[in-house]
Amino acid sequence: MNTCEKVREQLSMLLYGELSFDQEEAVDAHLEGCAECRLALDREHELHAAFDKAEVEPPASVLWESRQNLQRQIAAEQRPAHAFMGRSGWWDRFLDTAWLRPAGALALVTLGFLGARLAPDWGLGVTGMSLADPGLQRVRSVGPSPNGGIQIVLDETRQRVVSGGLDDQKIRVLLLSAAKDPSDPGLRYETVGILNDRAQAAEVRDALIYALEHDENAGVRLKAMDGLKPFVRQPEIRKALAGVLLSDGNPGMRTQAIDLLTQGVGETTGNTTANNLDRDIIGTLQELMNSENNAYVRQRGERVLQLVNASQETY
Amino acid sequence: LAQKAGFQTDEKALIRAAQEGDQDAFGQLVRAYDQSVLRLAMNLLRSPEDAQDVYQEAFLRVYRNLNSFRFDCSFHTWLYRIVTNLCLDHMRKRKVRKEESSQVEGTDGPVDRMDTLQESRAESDPQRTMFTGELRERIRKALGELTARERMVFELRHYEGLKLRNIGEILGTSEEAAKNCLFRATQKMRVALGDFV
Repeated sequence: MNTCEKVREQLSMLLYGELSFDQEEAVDAHLEGCAECRLALDREHELHAAFDKAEVEPPASVLWESRQNLQRQIAAEQRPAHAFMGRSGWWDRFLDTAWLRPAGALALVTLGFLGARLAPDWGLGVTGMSLADPGLQRVRSVGPSPNGGIQIVLDETRQRVVSGGLDDQKIRVLLLSAAKDPSDPGLRYETVGILNDRAQAAEVRDALIYALEHDENAGVRLKAMDGLKPFVRQPEIRKALAGVLLSDGNPGMRTQAIDLLTQGVGETTGNTTANNLDRDIIGTLQELMNSENNAYVRQRGERVLQLVNASQETY
Repeated sequence: LAQKAGFQTDEKALIRAAQEGDQDAFGQLVRAYDQSVLRLAMNLLRSPEDAQDVYQEAFLRVYRNLNSFRFDCSFHTWLYRIVTNLCLDHMRKRKVRKEESSQVEGTDGPVDRMDTLQESRAESDPQRTMFTGELRERIRKALGELTARERMVFELRHYEGLKLRNIGEILGTSEEAAKNCLFRATQKMRVALGDFV
């Protein structure tokens, strides 16, 4: 085997950084003086780059599902359930990963919004009974039992797992309801993020408009606005965005609304600069100028009005 | 290095805490490794269901046997030993079952089921997409021709980025044997891909 053949055999290991110091020195020295082997090295680089293309990254949903199943299986092992399932325990931190949030929110829905927690064993020694989280059960009535003891009637909230794709009607209904859940802005945020993927459906758009107009949390409103972006030409969306301009207390929201409503204005194509904007929006912007206190939002609004040759305020 | 040393110290503390029954610590250990475990299983087995099985079984074994972990090797090596053994078992069983197809019926004919999971690799140029698709298919086929151990070494080195010494430790073999395995694997891949690359 000549030197070139020997060197080429080592190229792959060179790229993997698996040659000894001496081997690497020898290969480098040879490559400096051998154009053909340098070409072979280039091909080896291409081969390695090609390998990269076949790699599969597990989707967040598969990872989520795996974690969920693992958690369930571990909880079923001998350890006390509450140690694993406490809301502030490892499981919550486990799921607290930004990139996993959309999948997480879906699973939150499938878990009944995680409202359900496994019952801590309070050691009451009552056969066949363990008291669940007081938040999930309520004593309806108390009275004497026929055998002389006490009889308590409990109302309990039961956990139910529902799973399926975004296009499943039952999942859709749960998500639409979760998007309005008043108790948990985090859940609403994540749910709205998931719904954004199906904003082509009218019922989803309605939910996003509702969130945009009514949600008390600016993050949720902004997320809903994101989902509505592709439909900004539709009259009901424009109306909702105009409403944001005039009544949303968050300057960031108002700025975004201006940008969406005035998309394309001022852009130059060839020799023409777009300066058309529907009259209603011009009117809304002028109205905004009457009351806007935020300098940045004012500046954005003024610039648009300037571009469309409209006066700055209504009189 | 300092960061790595810090992580190792933290990890030791986590393992010790988990051994004493701290579920939170166990959760952190899982989270530190589970994504790469799932990726490895998925790339090796080319089936999300099988990969999920391996994931479950591996972490359950860790959970059940954590008390017997004596720090003779790193936690990572111990975990990967479990995972690779499970994957090898799956691969062998599959060979015995004469391999179920990894293809599913798509709108334009059969497609590899793993392609249906490729979320972030869409290309804007259709020609490029087709080329990438064909290339991926060729690589998959070539990977399928490797022996289970060659495949394992290749996956661990190329996709997981582990050093051969570590791979040897995981697979219970020497660094040199792992190197030979990788050499054979890349050689076969090169031949199989021919002038495609």
